[in-house]
Amino acid sequence: MPSATTTATDPPAVVYDARGLTKEFDGGQVAALRGVDLTVREGEFVAIIGPSGCGKSTLLQMLGALDRPSSGTLTFRGRSLPGLADAAAYRARDIGFVFQAFHLLPTFTVLENVQIPMFEGDLPRSQRRARAAELLESVGLSHRLRHFPSQLSGGERQRVAIARSLANRPGVLLADEPTGNLDSANADQVLDLILRLHRELRMTLVLVTHDLGIAKRATRIIRMKDGRVVDGPATPTPTPATP
Amino acid sequence: MTFLSMVARNLLRRPVRTGLTLLGISIGIAAVVALVGMSRGYEKSIVKQLDAIGIDLVVSNMSGGIMPKVYDASLEEKIAPLPNVAQTTSVLMQMMSIEDAPMMMVSGRAWGGFTWEKLRVIDGRLPADGNERAVVLGTLAAEVLKKKVGDTVQIETEELPVVGIVDGQAVVENGAIILSLPILQELTLNEGKVNFIDIRVTPGTTEAQMAALSARVKEIFPEGRAMVADEVVGTSQGYRIMRAMSWSTSLLAIIVGVLGVMNTMLMTVFERTHEIGVLLAVGWKKSRIMRMVLLESAMLGLLGGIVGVALGALGLMILKRTPTLRGLLEPDLGLPLLLTSVGIALVVGIISGLYPGWRSSRLSPSLALHG
Repeated sequence: MPSATTTATDPPAVVYDARGLTKEFDGGQVAALRGVDLTVREGEFVAIIGPSGCGKSTLLQMLGALDRPSSGTLTFRGRSLPGLADAAAYRARDIGFVFQAFHLLPTFTVLENVQIPMFEGDLPRSQRRARAAELLESVGLSHRLRHFPSQLSGGERQRVAIARSLANRPGVLLADEPTGNLDSANADQVLDLILRLHRELRMTLVLVTHDLGIAKRATRIIRMKDGRVVDGPATPTPTPATP
Repeated sequence: MTFLSMVARNLLRRPVRTGLTLLGISIGIAAVVALVGMSRGYEKSIVKQLDAIGIDLVVSNMSGGIMPKVYDASLEEKIAPLPNVAQTTSVLMQMMSIEDAPMMMVSGRAWGGFTWEKLRVIDGRLPADGNERAVVLGTLAAEVLKKKVGDTVQIETEELPVVGIVDGQAVVENGAIILSLPILQELTLNEGKVNFIDIRVTPGTTEAQMAALSARVKEIFPEGRAMVADEVVGTSQGYRIMRAMSWSTSLLAIIVGVLGVMNTMLMTVFERTHEIGVLLAVGWKKSRIMRMVLLESAMLGLLGGIVGVALGALGLMILKRTPTLRGLLEPDLGLPLLLTSVGIALVVGIISGLYPGWRSSRLSPSLALHG
């Protein structure tokens, strides 16, 4: 796992650095991000919170190179993300992405879903399979290998999706409302799993949520509103409406 | 799971649609196999016939339809003395509707000519001489007409007795009604006319001498030409039309196949927009998405080709047995034709996948995930 050695004097290396990031849709009609500055360091667990429509998911998509910013700069370990020649390789190897809606492929078994990102790697077939089984075991699903996503509970599906996101051993996990579609028991389980990954694999974790209870377990909370990062401490009370 | 098995799984996802698309492309390929196999089979049958009789050169005027135009029989006397000519004989060949059979080859042959030599009598006898008003039937012709020795066959206005059943050792020979030349000339109002002069050359004749002989014939008979056996069919206008028609019909069938596969693949891509978004999000390269779609399409083509070749071969077998075509041709189902057809189907699959593949590779992961 690429985690920089940290000493008392050196702050951990910068993973993401965003300056003046904007994103407009519909030819400028809708502004999802209106100048976001953000730094994420190695090994951090950053929670991005805010009401729906505040741009937090859009920001996460920029970090995941699923979309390109309209303006501003965004770097990953010093390399410009929108400028990457091979965004696919970045998505495949450097990050794992976990979605609120799981996004598993319905016609493939659990074991096969986890292998799908591995086609972009160089593991032979037998090792792909073994690695997928190992990952599924680590998320507690070794008894579900041959099941199809439709045969699983929501919590189980999300655990499959997490196993899939780890397929190519990324150093960063990006999670967009990973517990948003789950009941509280399942949500706790999934969150515990994500926290365990952060702790044990020392993965950098950026998690988008509107649930302050989850955000409080992060090492740092970033609040967003109307496409901007809002300064000030995170409190459970809603921020006063901006004039 | 391999990339290939993943692609195959995608095809199985919509079995009805995949099946219908397969059927569409396989009907196209079946048309190619049946039509091209038939026109090639026709060619092969004629060549085999000439070989069976032992004809080296054929003089005829191929500008007519399927059967060459008739010309004056006296031409034979001018050809016989040419160098390297060992034997000549003349034939009047007509394609006629005989009783219930819509198309039969009727062959009037100069009595005593070598075209009679290779006929093996199975039953009855050959005509006693050139003036006997009687016919012999090739084995297939006898079957098609349901005639045996002692029955009669009506040619134009006259009922002629069947005196023998013969085996001519080639499908076209066995499918023919054979009689003496002057009688057929008289019945078809072609007195003194023939449309084939068959030549056997002296043993040891070189190709150059053969060519020189053809050139001499051309001088004597400018409207026609002397051809070696293989050329006979190739120069027939009727055959050329048949070949052009079979290829153009095949081409149409192939175009329909391309459109069908392309439509299916486009639907697949639209339907799987979200899924393609997921694949892009987990790090698949655009080129791999494109490859997935192309491979799916190529697989459809290949399978369609295999099914189509089987259907086409089956169709030809059935066609071969229909009364219309029985005895006229032996379908050519050679390996080269079958492989070419499967190859065409594969290319159809790949071509059909290009545009859908390109479309799919242009999807943006975030839009695809939301859409």
